Amino acid sequence: MKLFLLVITGWVFCAAATTDPVIYTSNNGSVNFRSEAPFELINASSKELKGAIDASKNNFAFRIRIRSFEGFNKPLQKEHFNENYLESEKYPEATFNGKIIETVDYSTKGKYTVRAKGILSIHGVEQERIIKSDIEITGNSIRISSNFTVLLSDHNIPIPRVVKEKLANEIKVTINTELFAK
Amino acid sequence: MTQKLSLLALFVFIFAFAAKAQDIDLNKMLEEEQAKEEKGKVHYTEATFKTTRLINGHSIENIAPGIMDLKVSHRFGTLNSGAYEFFGLDNASMRLGFDFGITPRLMVGVGRSSYQKQFDGFLKYKILRQSTGKRTMPISMSVVSSTMVTSLKWSDPTRKNFFTSRMQFAHQLIIARKFSESTSLQLMPTIVHYNLVPKANDPNDVIAIGFGGRQKITKRISINAEYYFQVPGYKFSGTTDALSFGFDIETGGHVFQLHITNSRGMTERTFISETNGKWSKGDLLFGFNISRVFTIKKPRKK
Repeated sequence: MKLFLLVITGWVFCAAATTDPVIYTSNNGSVNFRSEAPFELINASSKELKGAIDASKNNFAFRIRIRSFEGFNKPLQKEHFNENYLESEKYPEATFNGKIIETVDYSTKGKYTVRAKGILSIHGVEQERIIKSDIEITGNSIRISSNFTVLLSDHNIPIPRVVKEKLANEIKVTINTELFAK
Repeated sequence: MTQKLSLLALFVFIFAFAAKAQDIDLNKMLEEEQAKEEKGKVHYTEATFKTTRLINGHSIENIAPGIMDLKVSHRFGTLNSGAYEFFGLDNASMRLGFDFGITPRLMVGVGRSSYQKQFDGFLKYKILRQSTGKRTMPISMSVVSSTMVTSLKWSDPTRKNFFTSRMQFAHQLIIARKFSESTSLQLMPTIVHYNLVPKANDPNDVIAIGFGGRQKITKRISINAEYYFQVPGYKFSGTTDALSFGFDIETGGHVFQLHITNSRGMTERTFISETNGKWSKGDLLFGFNISRVFTIKKPRKK
């Protein structure tokens, strides 16, 4: 009988342990970036944003393959983006990993504005960032949308003098994604 | 029975602790997922060279569909012509060319050279693309076929002259590999056909094997070399092999190519089979190519 009880408590523990880390993931979030320079407007986007949130710890991770960005004003621009600016052969991905500062109740539906604090790594240069995001808990998913800027100079991406009027240092980034419980 | 139960209890506990102790690394999880996905995709190698020409001849690169590439090339006179000719700068020949990308694999181009008043046109088709991932292909391969027409006045207008006598053809296979981000090499077996040869004992078909490569020294500058070895017995008498060295300098939509070469012409037949400058004697010419791309047809929005 004692043993039986032990087994039961064990199960309970086990169940508690397995339900504890609820992970939400997505493979097809969208990322859009925009450079608004005096002479040229550059737009590119990708639908390959990968994201994961661990609801038990309030942790998150995001990852995007640099080569997946499409758009641009001409094919050569995309080639230069990969070859000369982001150097996607050397640094194939950009990542953002960290923790949500606010405590979020993932069990009640609703919209929240949260601050995500973490390490943003682009072009191999890591920056600690706090990025404000709107999130919506729908029950079985988390919708995230966020607007923020990235300075090329923060990530060691120099702008050659000849394209100074065609490329902004401040890049506007928009993210939209929906993460589902795994 | 009790033994079995106790074992079960032990298992359950271990399981529970294992699950508790496991700190899930989200970043690692995504990284692994990404790696798995990458394996299922084909990644084509891009930017083996900066532009569609290595120095005189073609590189493996094609231009994208809907893009026009305006190429302006100059070759000055030989450096050893002395101060009177301002080391060759007084004596320039040029080629004006327009290249068009038709599909991702096919491009065509036309050009006109002041040297021997030539018109030329070519087709370039990419047969193989170097790739990694799901399908691994170690090399890229293209075929280039060009036709040249000389429009100089007939040397002997009294005899019966045929238009076809003005024509030459060059066929090249280009085999290239990008070894690393900064190093690319290519091999170019070539045959140049002349309908009419200059001397009676010259062959109608000149066979040559080209070697070329580039080494990037910065993100936007590379050093290039190009050499065409003419197979003995299949070359014109008194000609030398074309050897050239140059820089590619890229600035936004332009690519500048500066080079030193021993050949004067900028069409396949003139530099592969009719080069007569000798490096040892200083018969070297300074030259440059300027490439500027224009979008003439916008790609459809997805």
